[in-house]
Amino acid sequence: MRTRLRQIANTLFTLAALASVVLVVAALVGILLPMIWRGSGAVAFQGTVEFRRMQIEQLGRGDRKALQEEMEQANRLRDQAWGMLDRFAAAMDPSDLVTRVRQLHREFSTQIDNRDLRRDQTTQLKSLSRSLRDKLLAAMDTQDTSAATANLDEVLSHAEDGPLRGTVAAGYFDAARHYRDAISGVDLARRDQYVEPYRQVRSAVEALLGPRPGKPLPALVMQRYGATRWDQAREHLANVLWAREWVADGPGRPLRQVAVPREQQFAGTELAGLFPLMRDNAAGMLLPRWTFYWQYFIDDSLSGHYFGGVGPEVIGTLLITVLAILFAMPIGVITAGYLIECAGDGPLTRLLRMCINTLAGVPSIVFGLFGLAFFVIYLLPKLGAPQGSSIVSGAMTLALLVLPVVIRASEEAIRSVPSSYREASLALGASRLHCFVTVTLPAAMPGILTGLILSMSRAAGETAPILFTAAVAMGPVPSSLLEPTRTLSYSSYDMAVGDRMAAMAPHNQYGMVMTLVGIVLLLNIVAIVLRGRMARKLRGQ
Amino acid sequence: MEDAPQFVAEPAAGFNRPLLLSAGRDRFGWALGHLGRAVLGLITGTSVLAVVLIFVFIVREAWPFFAQRSLAEAFGSTQWYPQAAAGQEQFGMLALIVGSLYVTAGALVLAVPLGILTAVVLSDIVPFGLRQAIKPVVELLAAIPSVAFGFFAVKVLAPFMQTHLGFTTGANILNSSLVLAVMAIPTIVSVAEDSLWAVGRDLREASFACGATRAETLVKVVIPAAHNGILAAIVLGMMRAIGETMLVWMASGNAAQIPSPWWDLSQSVRTMTATIAGEMGETPQGSIQRHALFAVGLILLVFSLGLNLLTETLLRRAKTGKGDRR
Repeated sequence: MRTRLRQIANTLFTLAALASVVLVVAALVGILLPMIWRGSGAVAFQGTVEFRRMQIEQLGRGDRKALQEEMEQANRLRDQAWGMLDRFAAAMDPSDLVTRVRQLHREFSTQIDNRDLRRDQTTQLKSLSRSLRDKLLAAMDTQDTSAATANLDEVLSHAEDGPLRGTVAAGYFDAARHYRDAISGVDLARRDQYVEPYRQVRSAVEALLGPRPGKPLPALVMQRYGATRWDQAREHLANVLWAREWVADGPGRPLRQVAVPREQQFAGTELAGLFPLMRDNAAGMLLPRWTFYWQYFIDDSLSGHYFGGVGPEVIGTLLITVLAILFAMPIGVITAGYLIECAGDGPLTRLLRMCINTLAGVPSIVFGLFGLAFFVIYLLPKLGAPQGSSIVSGAMTLALLVLPVVIRASEEAIRSVPSSYREASLALGASRLHCFVTVTLPAAMPGILTGLILSMSRAAGETAPILFTAAVAMGPVPSSLLEPTRTLSYSSYDMAVGDRMAAMAPHNQYGMVMTLVGIVLLLNIVAIVLRGRMARKLRGQ
Repeated sequence: MEDAPQFVAEPAAGFNRPLLLSAGRDRFGWALGHLGRAVLGLITGTSVLAVVLIFVFIVREAWPFFAQRSLAEAFGSTQWYPQAAAGQEQFGMLALIVGSLYVTAGALVLAVPLGILTAVVLSDIVPFGLRQAIKPVVELLAAIPSVAFGFFAVKVLAPFMQTHLGFTTGANILNSSLVLAVMAIPTIVSVAEDSLWAVGRDLREASFACGATRAETLVKVVIPAAHNGILAAIVLGMMRAIGETMLVWMASGNAAQIPSPWWDLSQSVRTMTATIAGEMGETPQGSIQRHALFAVGLILLVFSLGLNLLTETLLRRAKTGKGDRR
C-alpha cells in the first residue's frame, strides 16, 4: 500500500514537472505566435488598388499603366457610389446650390447692366431674377416637399421666357431641375435627421475609397488614399454598412452598443441603394490582390507610421548594435584572454571577477542613467561633440551592458581549447602572446563568435539603456554617428503605447515588433546552430 | 653577444631561421611579454573602471537629492508628486519601492516553482535528445527582448483581461507579474539546472539503491544537495525581475500607490524602473526631479549589488560544497 502511494506520488511529481515544461513552451509559443502572425500581416496581405496607387505616387514603385487600367475599372463602380452620395447630398444639404443661386443673381445683374437696355426693362428683369432667386432659396430651405416642388415648378415655368434666353439665368433652371431630381426620392421633413448619419457614411466611404476624385487633395498623406489593405477595407466597409448606436437596456442599466444597418436608417431614401451597391461591389471598387511587400523592411515610414515600413529603424538598430559590439569585442576578448592566460587567483583577479559580475547585475535602466550622466552630458561634450543623445553614446552604453556577456562567452570558448594546442605551441618556442594570438584565439574563434552573436541579439533588443542616450521616436535617418536615431526596440514601445497614429494601423505596430523579434531570434538560432556544430566537432564527429 | 658560443642548428625543413633564440632576442621577448601583460591588464581594467564610474556618476547625480531632502521623506512617504509647483514637489519613494517588490514577488511566486520543475525535467527526467530540444526553447525565451514582452502584455494580455476576465484595467500587477515570470524563468532554469547537474550521479545512485523513487530522490536528496545553486538561481531571477524596465513600464499601469487591500492584484502600481524611464525624458538637467530619479536609480543599483553579492556567496558555497553538510 505504501509502495503504491509512493509510486503515485512519483508519477504525480513527474507529471507536474512535465506540465511545467509544457507551460514554458506554451508561453514561448503564446507570446511569439500573435506577434509573428499579425506582424507578418504587415508584409504579406491583400493589397488594394489604393495601395498600388500609394506605392506609385509616394515611392515611384510599380506599373503606371496597369494601375491606370485598374483605376478605370474601379472608378466605373465607384462613380455610381459617388453619384448617389452627391445626389443625396444635394437634397440633404443644398448649401452648394444656395451659393450657386446667389452668385447667379449677382452675375445676372451685372450682365443686365452691361446690356444696352431701357431702364424699365432692366428693372423688370432684375426683379424677375430676384423673385426666381427667392423662390429657389425658399424651395431649398423648406422641409415640405410639396411646397418645394411647387416653388420649383413655378421657377421652371419661366424657363421659356424670351428675355431670359441666352443669359446666365439659364443656370436657375438647371439648379431647379437638379434639386427637383434630388428631392424626388427624399422626405424633406426628415432632413435634419439625416445630416449626421449622412456625414458618417460620407466619411466612411472616403476612408474606404479615398477622397472624392476632383476634390482638392488633403494635406495629410494618410488621408489621400482609401483603404490600402483588404482587412482594413472590410472594417471601413462595416462602418459604411452599419451604424453604431447606444441603446438603454432599462433604467439604471449601462448603455449598450448595437449595430444598426444603415440600409434601415436610410430606408425610403435614394441613398438606401448605396449600401447593397457597396456590399456587393466593394471588391470591385478596391480590387484586392495578395501582395508581398518585402520592401517593408527597407522603406521609410510615411505619415507617422501609417504607411511605409521600418527601414530607418532597422538601420538604426543595426548601427547601434554593430558599433556596441565593435566597442565591446576587443575589450571583452582581451579581458577573457588575460583572465585565463595571465591572471592567477590573486585578490586582484577576484576583484576583477567581482566587478564583471556586478556589471552583469546592474539593471539596464541604470545603464541608461549612467549613459546619460557620463557619455551624453560629461564625456562627449568634453570631446567636442554636441550635447544630446547620439548613436555613439547609445552604442557605448550598450557596449558596457554586453561586456560581461562577451567576457564570459570568450572565456568559456578560450577555456575549451584543448591545452595540448597551447603546449605544442609553447614547446616550439612561441611566446605566450604569440601562442595566444596565433594558436589559442583562432581555435577559440567559433566560440567567441557565438558569444558575440548572442550579445548582439541582446544589444539589439535592449530599450532602457538607449531611452535617454540614443533613441528618438520620430526623426530623419541620421547622417552622422553623433545624431540620435530611431531603433526597432524604442519604436516598438512608442507605437504600442504612445503613438496615436500607429493605433490606426495595428499591422504596423505588430510589424515593428515582429521585425525586432525576428532579428533577435535569427541571431539566436544562428548562435545555437553554430554551437551545436562546435560541440559535435569537439566530440570528434 | 658576439663572443657567446653560437650554436646554430641546421634549419629544419620549412624554417628559415635558427630554432634557438639569441640572448638579445630572448630578453627582448621577455620585456615585450611583460609590457604586453601590462597593456592587457590595463584593458582588462575597463570592467573595474566601468563599475567605479557607474557608481561615481550615479552617486554624483543623486547626491544633491539626499543633501536637500531627508531620507525620511524618500523612504517614509508614498507621496510622489515631482511635477507639483516649485517648492512643493514631493518625492516619497515608498510606493515605487513597494510597487517594484509587488511585481517582483508576484513574478517569483509563479516563476520559482515552474523554473525549478523545468530544471528538474531537463536534468533528470527527459532523455538526452529531448533535453537538447527543450534547452533552445528556454534560451529563445531568454532572448526575446523585454520590449516585445511588454508589447505582448499591452496588446494581447491586457485587452484579454479587460474584455474576458472583467478587470477594470488590463495594466495591473497581475499582468506584469505573469509576463515578468515568463521572463525570469529562463534565468532560473539555466542556473538551477547547472547546480542540479553538478550534484553528480553518485548521490542519485545511492538514493536509488536505497529504494527511493525518482521523486523522492529529487526532493529529498538532489534538491537539498543543490540548494545553494537553486537559491542563487532564485536570486538571479529576482534581479532580472526587479531591474526589468520596459515590461513594467508598459504593463503595470504606472499609478504611484500601494495597493489596498494588499492582496488586490488587479490594481495598478508603479515601479522604480518605470518611474525613471517615464520621467527622465522630461526633466531639465540639474532639476531636483532629475536628482530624485538618479536617487531612485541609486537605490536600484544598491539593491542589485546586494543581491549580486548574495548570489556570488551562494554560488561559491555551491562550488566548494560548503554548507551542504548539515
